[in-house]
Amino acid sequence: MDLARKTARTRVQAIPMRERVREWTVRYGVIAITLFLLVLFLATEDTFRRPTTILSMLKYASVIAIAGLGVTTAMVVGGIDLSVGGIAGMAVTIAAMTMVIYNQIGLIAVAGVLVAGAAVGLVNALLIVRLRIPDMLATLSVMFVIQGLKLVFVSGQSVSSGMPLPDGTFAKGHFTADFLWIDNGFVGPIPVPVLIFLVLTVAMWIFLTRTRWGRIMYAIGANPEAARLAGIRINRYHALAYVISGLLAAVAGLILASRIGQGDISAGNSLLLDSIAVALVGMSVMGLNLPNAWGTSLGAVMLGILITGLTIAGVPYYAQDVVKGLVLVLALIFSFTLSRKRTRYVSAV
Amino acid sequence: MTRSKIIAGLFATTMLVTACSQSAATTAPSAAAPSAEAPTAAAPSAAPSESAAAAASAAPTACAAPAPFGSGKVKIAMVRQSGAGDYFQQWGGGAQKQADALGFDMQVYDAQADNATQATQMQTAIDSGVAGIIVDHGLADTMNPLIKQALDKGIPVVVYDVETTDPRVIHTTQSDADMATKVLTVMANDLGKGAQVGYVNALGIAPLDRRNVVWEQFVKDNGWLQKFFVGKFTNAVATDNAVLADAALKANPDVAGIFAPYDELTKGTLVAVKNNGLSDKIKVYGIDISNADLELMTAPGSPWVATAATDPAGVGAAVVRAMGLKLTNELQGTDFKFPAALITQKYLADNGITNMDQLRVAMPELAEASQMVSCWIQVAY
Repeated sequence: MDLARKTARTRVQAIPMRERVREWTVRYGVIAITLFLLVLFLATEDTFRRPTTILSMLKYASVIAIAGLGVTTAMVVGGIDLSVGGIAGMAVTIAAMTMVIYNQIGLIAVAGVLVAGAAVGLVNALLIVRLRIPDMLATLSVMFVIQGLKLVFVSGQSVSSGMPLPDGTFAKGHFTADFLWIDNGFVGPIPVPVLIFLVLTVAMWIFLTRTRWGRIMYAIGANPEAARLAGIRINRYHALAYVISGLLAAVAGLILASRIGQGDISAGNSLLLDSIAVALVGMSVMGLNLPNAWGTSLGAVMLGILITGLTIAGVPYYAQDVVKGLVLVLALIFSFTLSRKRTRYVSAV
Repeated sequence: MTRSKIIAGLFATTMLVTACSQSAATTAPSAAAPSAEAPTAAAPSAAPSESAAAAASAAPTACAAPAPFGSGKVKIAMVRQSGAGDYFQQWGGGAQKQADALGFDMQVYDAQADNATQATQMQTAIDSGVAGIIVDHGLADTMNPLIKQALDKGIPVVVYDVETTDPRVIHTTQSDADMATKVLTVMANDLGKGAQVGYVNALGIAPLDRRNVVWEQFVKDNGWLQKFFVGKFTNAVATDNAVLADAALKANPDVAGIFAPYDELTKGTLVAVKNNGLSDKIKVYGIDISNADLELMTAPGSPWVATAATDPAGVGAAVVRAMGLKLTNELQGTDFKFPAALITQKYLADNGITNMDQLRVAMPELAEASQMVSCWIQVAY
């Protein structure tokens, strides 16, 4: 990607004005929209100017960003993971069952959720790599399976303290204070979920662009056949990508569980589409035209600003969806329509 | 070629911006209370003379509004778990009209049944520096820490049907015990002691559990023989429970009456009774009312003989008035249950009532218009 950027830069100097404007739009379009929305809401809404609002907006974005990073990882190897919302929802129920029904401490709930997330990722990988089911179909099926399984475990009921159990007794456990800290705690002035979001963004950026594994993943995404001929065991990297995606979705679920404080069976339902949307928006950041960690996170923050700002402005949720869709279209125009020329020499994507 | 694309892109951005600002602008006036709308809103209320006075515009109330009302709009927030469905739409509509009439600038947050979103929106509402927050439904574990946070910051909180423990919260709900008692009293009069009865209810849902307590008491007190107890809560309550009630009736066709304490359960029960050709032998007792329910009750030969209900729009308005009274320090107590009205098939037939508008005029008590009032309050819903 550094190479790509360099190539682009040398080219910029040689091309006429209108090309430079186009280049600029393709590169900075999403960033410009984000800044524009930020300034718009800062200027028009008192509430938006409060630091607490900004932090709560980032908290909202964190869950979508983390699940979006999972989708991004799957997209890097040329796949897609439609099970992230399902995994996050499953995570909420598993966390609640561990603490409320089995009366365990928060740490065990966290461990259980992460193991489950990685396990679902492995199942995805198995279906895609070994059984050669197309990724979209495999992860869609897995989504249904885990959504159903989660309901089977709890007989379709939300898990909460004092709920009646099949054996006639009542659930004795409760969400522990340390588990609730995941969403409600602060490290210094920064809310914990925002910190997790930042750390994971940096970690995924380093992993995807600064390590051998990450670069190989991009190579597989660009041209799996070439990667295979170069001696790369592409199946292993595919599997790794889906396990990482499952883990990240599980982390998103942990934050959701901590936010809701109850084993809400409807949790995570809206997460899938939002996380795919931010991963797509992220592709057009800096004109990379590739799934990337910073882009996804910026996309999530943009969505956060948009939704929080519109909500504060009193725009009803259905109108918000229209605006959300239009912004997505705009971002896709940047990455697909306007940058068609560049894609030819930037990469094989 | 390329330039046109850029222009198209910029144009799209501009359109987007206009769209944002326009939708913001269109929502603003609705919160800003066009006072001309208030009289029509009040028309079906209990006091026709009052609405006539309201038509003369200006403040029709008996006294001036105390602080913080009177000088500009008072900003409050309403944080709703969901605004979808018949009941909640009517509830929200009534609440908005009352908010306009009182002089509230009410920001409504609708989480669309997403509990994590409701938590985020509650946080935004707290941070937005409003004078008060109304919470309409929500999971206890999700909302209680946030409600505590609001109260700690000195923001009064009025909740509707949220289980809370904080004594500072103003708690409102429709009285499930009252609804069940009213309709079961009719059932007891109709059937007498020792009758064979059926029961369709889905336990595990808080309001249905509260109605169940009353049912068990009535069964005991009247020596009723409960021949069957079926019911489950699903995404299609009426359809799924029709199947269960049908099976139960096949096994026990000789029950004299069935209690199904939620209108979707009642609808399912009615289907089962009709399918078994028992409409003239069995009486069905339900809870809740809507236009669809009225149609079923007033249909020729309908076995649904009585129901108990509140008017959702009236209840939504009363909750908003509770916030008004809380802000002027006029509210006595912290726990309020809105009483239900009994609606019998005979009453509907005698008065020729077939829809909710007619019912609201005929039964003003349905609207809770006498609840949460003060001399400065103009009731609207």
